[in-house]
Amino acid sequence: MRVSWNWLSEYVDLSGVTPQELADKLTQAGIAVDAVTPRSPGVRGVVVGLVVRCEQHPNADRLHVCEVDVGADEHLTIVCGAPNVRTGMRAPTALVGAVLPGGRIGRAKLRGVESQGMLCSAEELGLESRWLPKEQTEGLYVLPDEAEVGADVVPLLGLDDWVLELDLTPNRADCLSMRGLAYEVSAILGRPVRMPGASPKRTADAPGLTVELATPRCPRYEAQVLTDLTTGPSPLWMQMRLLASGIRPINRIVDVTNYVMLEWGQPLHAFDADEVRQGRIIVRQAQPGERIRTLDGADRELTEDTIVISDPERAIGIAGVMGGENSEVRPSTRRVVLESAVFDAASVRRTGQRLGLRSEAQQRFEKGVDPVAVRAALDRATALLQEICSAVAVGEPVVVLQAAPAYQWQVDFSPARCNAWLGTDLTLQEMRDIMVRLGFEPEATDQPTWKVTIPSRRQDVRLEEDLYEEVARLAGYDRIPSSLPRTVTTAATRTPAQRLRQWTREILLGAGMTEVLTYTLASPTDLAPLRLPDDSPYRQMIPLLRPMSEERTALRTHMLPGLARVAQYNLAHGVIGGAIFELGRVYWPKELPLTEQPCERQQWAALWFGSTERVVGQRARLYDFYDAKGVVEVWLEALGVAEAVSFRRSGASWLHPGRSADVLVGDVRIGCVGELHPDTAAGWALGRAQYAEFDLDLLLPLLPDTLHVRPLPRHPAVRRDLAVLVDLATPAEALVQAAREAVSEDVLESIHVFDVYTGEGIPTGKKSIALAFTWRAHDRTLTDDEVRVEEERVVHRWKERWGAALRDG
Amino acid sequence: MRADEIRTELEAWAEVAVRRLGETSDAKSLEAWRVEHLGKRSGLSQFMRQLSALPADERPLVGAWVNRWRDELQARYEARRAELAAAERQVQLERETIDITLPGRPYRRGAMHPLSKVIAEIEEVFLGMGFEIAEGPEVETEHYNFEMLNIPKDHPARDMQDTFYITEDLLLRTHTSPMQVRTMERMRPRTPVKVIVPGRVYRRDEDDATHSHAFTQMEGLVVDEGIRMSDLKGTLEAFAKAVFGPNQRVRLRPSFFPFTEPSAEVDLVCIHCGGNGCRVCKETGWIEILGAGMVHPRVLDGAGYDSRRYSGFAFGLGVERIAMLKYGIDDIRQLYLNDLRLLRQFARVQ
Ligand SMILES: [Zn+2]
Repeated sequence: MRVSWNWLSEYVDLSGVTPQELADKLTQAGIAVDAVTPRSPGVRGVVVGLVVRCEQHPNADRLHVCEVDVGADEHLTIVCGAPNVRTGMRAPTALVGAVLPGGRIGRAKLRGVESQGMLCSAEELGLESRWLPKEQTEGLYVLPDEAEVGADVVPLLGLDDWVLELDLTPNRADCLSMRGLAYEVSAILGRPVRMPGASPKRTADAPGLTVELATPRCPRYEAQVLTDLTTGPSPLWMQMRLLASGIRPINRIVDVTNYVMLEWGQPLHAFDADEVRQGRIIVRQAQPGERIRTLDGADRELTEDTIVISDPERAIGIAGVMGGENSEVRPSTRRVVLESAVFDAASVRRTGQRLGLRSEAQQRFEKGVDPVAVRAALDRATALLQEICSAVAVGEPVVVLQAAPAYQWQVDFSPARCNAWLGTDLTLQEMRDIMVRLGFEPEATDQPTWKVTIPSRRQDVRLEEDLYEEVARLAGYDRIPSSLPRTVTTAATRTPAQRLRQWTREILLGAGMTEVLTYTLASPTDLAPLRLPDDSPYRQMIPLLRPMSEERTALRTHMLPGLARVAQYNLAHGVIGGAIFELGRVYWPKELPLTEQPCERQQWAALWFGSTERVVGQRARLYDFYDAKGVVEVWLEALGVAEAVSFRRSGASWLHPGRSADVLVGDVRIGCVGELHPDTAAGWALGRAQYAEFDLDLLLPLLPDTLHVRPLPRHPAVRRDLAVLVDLATPAEALVQAAREAVSEDVLESIHVFDVYTGEGIPTGKKSIALAFTWRAHDRTLTDDEVRVEEERVVHRWKERWGAALRDG
Repeated sequence: MRADEIRTELEAWAEVAVRRLGETSDAKSLEAWRVEHLGKRSGLSQFMRQLSALPADERPLVGAWVNRWRDELQARYEARRAELAAAERQVQLERETIDITLPGRPYRRGAMHPLSKVIAEIEEVFLGMGFEIAEGPEVETEHYNFEMLNIPKDHPARDMQDTFYITEDLLLRTHTSPMQVRTMERMRPRTPVKVIVPGRVYRRDEDDATHSHAFTQMEGLVVDEGIRMSDLKGTLEAFAKAVFGPNQRVRLRPSFFPFTEPSAEVDLVCIHCGGNGCRVCKETGWIEILGAGMVHPRVLDGAGYDSRRYSGFAFGLGVERIAMLKYGIDDIRQLYLNDLRLLRQFARVQ
């Protein structure tokens, strides 16, 4: 909402307050003022000029040489390049020395002719040209013939004005009007409001109009018939106020309805009375499929939910949203029906949304209008039409009421509870004063609970707590002190799921990985590189009804595409590689279309892409499977589940079948790790990359409770290595398992693979695996013989199963 | 031979021995010297053997001379040995000298995402004040996202949050506030309710430098008997001091949210200029960081806490905004771009 300072000052005394000061006070009281801008700052020396002669410039086709009467003894010679300059017109004329937003005007020679000033366009004057009709913006701004020659245009065009731009919250619909804002300013400054009274003269004739309300969604409809209207533009002062408010001036009838709407907050509509067939207005719900062409020239199909204004034959307007073209006020219009009504807020809102409209009227109706303003606005507009269009008001307004309007109501107010709610110690007197300034009427103020009467312009004040807010904001929020809740002390800890996520992040950071966060809204096309079967559950992405863009149409089911895009972006920007991870959610529906909230799984996923860093003593190389598996193992070990974990070949379609593993804790598959399938990697131009993904919700119940240390050993250990030759395909883990099975006693403390070798000295098709054994008994020192026996069992088992031979004896 | 002859010979021999000791250059030559001069077959032993040929009264005298030279040479030998060892260690140290300006072997610290960093920091502050951390579904129902928060259907307040709908009743939550109601329903009738809710929310917004279709909110809620709006101010002040420094203050400005009454926008002293006014704070000295208020009685009653008995406050802060202010990031999209050249800077502790 844009508010003209000068206009506002007609309703409440603003003397001694600057626009910026008022804006600050309003903002502090909850009416946020986004900007305070001078309408056209500092314009001086511009007067109404009458072009008495206009001739072609001798040396320039596009220029005219004009003789302009500016009310002085001598006419001025002014060179003008505007296409619409003509003899007899009045235009704003900047005299030599005048100041315009674009700078100072001097004497200038244009193609050999001296110009003693400048004829101005709307833009040169700083007028809001975007809301002016085309004929007023293409060339000179045309002043009306009534404009007095030589008069200063600054007061004439209201240029010495300020515009306050309000950013209103939806509850303060009252401030969508000069009147509501005047009351607000009145409460802040403690100065009275003076609204212009209107007592239009009405003939004693019958209006010749009937109104029927055929829907409960129009509780009240009032209509005034006016006749003998003159048409043409509205007075300059009215046009300028509309412009300052951001409303397009159209013609004097429409301008009056808009002006009064801005003043009172009550939308009005003027129908051409001759187009209201049979003099009957029927307010009803639209027929399904009913159509109407609205004022903006668009054909619109209506639904039963829409309230229409109609005559017995056709709809002539969409109630509260926009009038119909068929009953539009035209230059030929001499009789109008002026409508001032109340329509159901929710219905108006739905209709506007359905039609993609957000008219000024709709914005006011959907937030609720003040019943007091319905008649007041009608009277005011009638009076203005009489003044401006010489209209005659035919009889009294036609009034149809379905329910008695509530012009006021009472709200209980406990001052003690108000202070307790706010934490303040405001006095009874202060609270009472605030209410009186707001125009509320507190009664029984000697009682613990007051009865406060609220005027209907404050539709938002209904509950006791609403009054607390009124008290708080007018007393000033700086009156609220700082304190801490007087609650009992509570101990707070993270939940196990939150801890698991925090630990996971810390472990992965400790492994040198960088955390990323990607968008969860994605596109089903992102899944294409994953090589998923058609019936894959990953294809069940939950779609949005109205997405904003093609890239973000549905919720992700898989973590890989987001990470892959990050890798792709970074490779394209000169990063040679990286190890990244994301902790986030995937969204798995139980069924589609969605009938209930989906599973939101907590997962983490990681991607190793590009190559490792180049450092002294280590060549840069592509990340490989064991880089990824190493990090996964560190994670599992840190969480204390490493011993229950097994790696099995994975069938994940997005992974390389020979270089990937499912990871199981016990028999629960919690995720997988592996090299991306070359076709998958190619989908994002990634080259070789490693990927891991895990479901934290699956892992959570499998975590061990607490860490219990193993006692320190009392007897020494025997450490011995064995190197064994096996076929290339033999998995190392199988050798370890076989060894564990083979030993007879609980004397094998640990076993791990520390080298794998192929090449010189190793037969083709074979590899040498070196394993380190730590032998220890808990109750005695092992003898060499005991260890040798155990070793032989291991070697025998290997030989039996794989024909393995020890290397180097 | 006479004693004085032996003495002359002994001294001549010793002079040579000392000179040759000085000529030794390493452990090997030193050892050869030792065998030759102090060993069983050494020159000194020769002199000792000559004692028997002397008259008995001269023997002790000559014996003492020989022994003195033995002690002398032994001492000189030890000194020479230490000298040679030191020289050898010196050579070894020089040989082992490396270029200490080469970079150390890298043990890279990972980098936490700035949003995670900010969330973790705020969580610590509120955990310290006894707030639980709760999370909730991102795919929410109309009921929790709007209805229970006093935002009825077809109400203009819905314009404040343009919504991604999935079905008529299911949507992507537009704020973390539904968790106010879910938490109260879970907790009732226990008090106090003290919870923060970090989480991702969605708005049907065009992405630009200051808007994102997805962003992170941190909701806070306290419900008990006797909770005051001043408690909201004090709690947020404690939070601001913990996160932005001990000189922080907060300022409340009236505002409107359908689920709080009264409602407030909360400003912090501008982090960039300390309140003097700058471009970041549009010369006001304050920056808006969150919305807050007293829980609306309809919300309390709807969630099962009688608003005549209980009161509460709630706030919702924008995590991205705080991260941007704290780290000097001026485009919200950078937080989701994941450019490693930016993210790796967060390997630093702070
Ligand atoms: Zn600043």
